[in-house]
Amino acid sequence: MNASARSEIFARLREITGEAPAERIQRERQALGSAPVPAPPAAELCQAFLTNVLKNKGTVDCVANRTEAVTAIGHHIYSHFRSHRLVAGNDPRLAAMPWRDAGVLPRFGSLEVGEPVALTFAQLGVVETGAIVTWTGKSNPAANNLLPEHHIVLVDTADLVSSMEHAWGRINLELEKTGRPRGINFIAGPSSTADIEGQLVYGAHGPRKWHVILMGDVPADALALARAAVPA
Amino acid sequence: MEQHSDTFLDNASAALGNTAQAERRDVIAAFAPLIRSAAVEGFTEFDALRQHVKRVRQHSLDHLEYYLGQFEHEAVHNGNHVHFARDGDELNSLVLDICQQHDARHVAKGKSMVTEETGLNDFLQRAGLEVMETDLGEYIIQQAGETPSHIVAPALHKSAGEIRELFQAKHKLGDRELPETVDLVSEARQVLREHFLKAEVGIIGANALIAENGYSMLVTNEGNGDLCANLPRVLIVCTTIDRVLPLAQDATAMLRLLVRSATGQSQTCYTSFYSGPRRESDVDGPIETHFVLLDNKRSEILDSDYREMLECIRCGACLNHCPIYSAVGGHAYGWVYTGPMGSILTPLLTSLEQSHALPNACTSCGRCAEVCPADIPLPDLLRDLRHEENSKKLSAPRWRLGLKLHSWLTRHPPLYHALTSIVIPVLHWFGRKHGNFERLPLAAGWTSQRNFPAPEGKTFMQQYKAQQKRREQGKHER
Repeated sequence: MNASARSEIFARLREITGEAPAERIQRERQALGSAPVPAPPAAELCQAFLTNVLKNKGTVDCVANRTEAVTAIGHHIYSHFRSHRLVAGNDPRLAAMPWRDAGVLPRFGSLEVGEPVALTFAQLGVVETGAIVTWTGKSNPAANNLLPEHHIVLVDTADLVSSMEHAWGRINLELEKTGRPRGINFIAGPSSTADIEGQLVYGAHGPRKWHVILMGDVPADALALARAAVPA
Repeated sequence: MEQHSDTFLDNASAALGNTAQAERRDVIAAFAPLIRSAAVEGFTEFDALRQHVKRVRQHSLDHLEYYLGQFEHEAVHNGNHVHFARDGDELNSLVLDICQQHDARHVAKGKSMVTEETGLNDFLQRAGLEVMETDLGEYIIQQAGETPSHIVAPALHKSAGEIRELFQAKHKLGDRELPETVDLVSEARQVLREHFLKAEVGIIGANALIAENGYSMLVTNEGNGDLCANLPRVLIVCTTIDRVLPLAQDATAMLRLLVRSATGQSQTCYTSFYSGPRRESDVDGPIETHFVLLDNKRSEILDSDYREMLECIRCGACLNHCPIYSAVGGHAYGWVYTGPMGSILTPLLTSLEQSHALPNACTSCGRCAEVCPADIPLPDLLRDLRHEENSKKLSAPRWRLGLKLHSWLTRHPPLYHALTSIVIPVLHWFGRKHGNFERLPLAAGWTSQRNFPAPEGKTFMQQYKAQQKRREQGKHER
């Protein structure tokens, strides 16, 4: 480390800003409170989340339980790739799913060259932005989120949070429990670019398609209402 | 990056002469503000958010030493190497040292204005490294040997046709023609994917540093920055010391402003927080991670009347709403940062002597300040720089003389009123036939481009007084 650069920069900053006790600084920050959050597109959480996922150009599906989830995943892969193969991280929640019932053949590990589909079990779904949150670790290789052609994400309705502030509330609990993961990724749509003449193209570097499956107690009309709110 | 701000006026004239590019700029200038306003209008508390984030930014800068220290402590705790660089040369040397320690030959780079500022690519390439920009826009201009024209969309000045020709010249295309934009994107995706897989070092920037937990925040739509951060075995995050925010929720609150103002989204496709090297149980990720934190005059700005400029979040909204930027484009500004924010940052980060034309590239229309998500009084700061230009005698002597006369006159209202009440009727009389002038003494700068409208006959003050008198009479009669 360039120690002289460090000490010079810190000395200059101290000279400019002066010193204050840490408690006072933290108290001042606390007094500033939290940021306002935009109103969701619907009062019901599932419907609002689905609406925002659709706005992010994701495709969506709703299922009631794990059996329905594997069936929906099998349909998605087969209809796009005429195959039943996919790659998923070593997530115990995924390992415990009834894959055989739907004839899906998952390989647990990191995506390799030539494998087009990866499945991630999201840690959270953020209603405010229609994003899913994952963090790196044994059960979640980063490559599976970033390199496939199609990225399928399973979100449990119990893991929906209303805002990014609430997402941090949940993430911070996790950090206290298991330490800080290397990477925390909010993903809100297929990889996109508008760098050529402002024209929006999907699959810039990462997934061309981003398919979110919401699993759990989803109100019967939530998906239809979300679709009606976002013109295709 | 080499600077050409001193020839702004010539650069601007040349840019206006390129009709095809000027037409593309017109289209962008028409649609970019619409995208932003649609996103902002859907969020009724946008202004409250803007004020909240401003207070947090001010608080962070007021205690920058504390928060920078806290960030460093947490980042080291997370397993990072944290370096400090006083200027661009120090940053470049630090990065090269890290690359050489790892015998790196290939570097994959995410978009970073800070490393544009320090000219990192050239520096690394001179040392024999292959450096590949991986943001599509940055990749295109790197292949073309150009510089960014916009901080968010660096290659927006190029047409799809030009990009196709570029790829035909630079890539082995065989008989593939790449007819559509999507084909161009796929082509770049393929070339860059190979580079990602062979790069030993990834370099990214940061939109924010979080003091409470030592994470950095990276915002992209392509996901290229994330590939840089996850695939190579070494990761270097290059950013400036002023990017520190106290809490994680402060970074995402700022994100709400940034993304709406930049691209009209509520969140970009990828918002990623990175804390350090791969953990024991991780299956992938870099084995070594570094932060290089650059000052390069940020502490001087903190200590000046331009401190608010450090609150800029690099969204590009002021560019998209500036009539001068829209007319002449980013390259005319002659350096990394362009438009209103660039016209302030360039003199502060380089020197006013080299770039005093930039603060004059302003019509004082105020649109930039209206849309600035960081609520920076950009027109005021531009005016202050013009004032400095004048006091340092950098502008042409006749401009200064003219300003001196004008300011003296306006400080003597009776004389000012007396003079204008002679000049205005005279101009009115001369211009009575056509209603305007094709030529006027001392106003060639105006009349060389358009006619000067003839005054109506009375000065503003005369008309105002007459109106007040009528109102008074009206009151009495009622």
